[in-house]
Amino acid sequence: MAQVLVVDDSSTVRNEVCDFLKANGLTVSAAVDGRDGLDKLKADPGIKLVVSDVNMPNMDGLTMAEKIRGEQRNASVNIIMLTTENSPAMKERGKAAGVKGWIVKPFNGPAVVGSLKKLVG
Amino acid sequence: MDMNSNKLVVSKVLILDDAVGHFDGLKAFCSDAGLLGIRPQQGDAGSVMGILRSNVDLGGIMLYENYGGPAGEGLALAREIHALRPELPIFLRRDAVASVAGLAERDAAMFRCAYTLQDLQHLRASLDASIFSRVYPNELVRGIAEMTRTSLESLFRGCEVDMETPYLVKDRIIHGEVFTMIAIESNWCRGYMMLQASESALLRLLGEDCEAREPMGFRELNNVLGEATNLIWGSFKNRYVGTTDKGLHGQTQVPIIINHHRNYISFGSEDPQLCFKYTLRPQGRGDVAVPVYQRFVFNLSWSPEAFHENPSVEALVESGELELF
Repeated sequence: MAQVLVVDDSSTVRNEVCDFLKANGLTVSAAVDGRDGLDKLKADPGIKLVVSDVNMPNMDGLTMAEKIRGEQRNASVNIIMLTTENSPAMKERGKAAGVKGWIVKPFNGPAVVGSLKKLVG
Repeated sequence: MDMNSNKLVVSKVLILDDAVGHFDGLKAFCSDAGLLGIRPQQGDAGSVMGILRSNVDLGGIMLYENYGGPAGEGLALAREIHALRPELPIFLRRDAVASVAGLAERDAAMFRCAYTLQDLQHLRASLDASIFSRVYPNELVRGIAEMTRTSLESLFRGCEVDMETPYLVKDRIIHGEVFTMIAIESNWCRGYMMLQASESALLRLLGEDCEAREPMGFRELNNVLGEATNLIWGSFKNRYVGTTDKGLHGQTQVPIIINHHRNYISFGSEDPQLCFKYTLRPQGRGDVAVPVYQRFVFNLSWSPEAFHENPSVEALVESGELELF
């Protein structure tokens, strides 16, 4: 059972974020794109937080977020976007999709770990 | 906009002019025109072609008609250069006339212009037209450098990132073995950004000089370069692409990563690609068979349930829905 699902097509970012969160006491699993993220979330009911990129092959992060929010059983899952995107329009789309927070890359673990832990509960 | 007011961007030109006293003059002229004049250490054709075969990004070549000797050696060298790099403009310095008069039509076509030392304004106009034909705003050049340095420093931790003066190239050479490419689209530009690097040098750097997080193989290196591409692309978009622009803000893009040393290309997705192999066989030549491979990579979106075929033009004409003039 993982507490956090990290979704990013870049293994560099995936590994960096996963390693950081593990080092800070969280259990983590990873997915390579939005479609894989949905599968991993479905298979692991322990996931409380999804940290996802936006631009990914097969299914982008916002589409994944919309699909996560579309399922009642995911009501308690928090979604954070970790992305190079920071346009208001994209963030609005994220808000509409039920995204809880937005982090602009590059990832700065120490700056956000406290907030991420709170979202895990 | 005055093209030469753009002092942030230069272009390298190879000066092949061995006449005593002329090189310094031409170099000063180049400096004034925003060009970085370089010349081979040895003036023989072999050395020149060696430079062209290496990864020196050039904007053009300034060639003296008697370079290497008065018996047409310059012209012979121009033919070699043009055959190897037809995309590089060659500017021919002549002794007597500022034109290609007297040259065979095929030879004359190799040169962007011909000039004499007495008529450098003619050369300047030709350089501006062929090398500085596109204006890149200083703010954009500065911004790209800044966001790229920040992105590289965040990924190659422990490394300092220096930058040479940005330059314009007419070459189409790929530097190194690994490169990434990503589409850039906005209301004011459409195109691609690439990062190009030497695989072995980067692997050494990541393995020895930086704070590598894990042992690096070429796939990990590809991913690091891919993420650098993604970071720069995101910064570019956030800074220069309007939020209402079509293109970048509405569509997903992921870097394409190519390593031709490994015959490797990644579109980011691990899904199988649809591949077709065709073979071209000239009639009457049973010994010749040239394969052509076609691949479809629908890495950004794939919804086969929505697949449909458009009605054929013939059907539309028959039904009267399309009027052809």
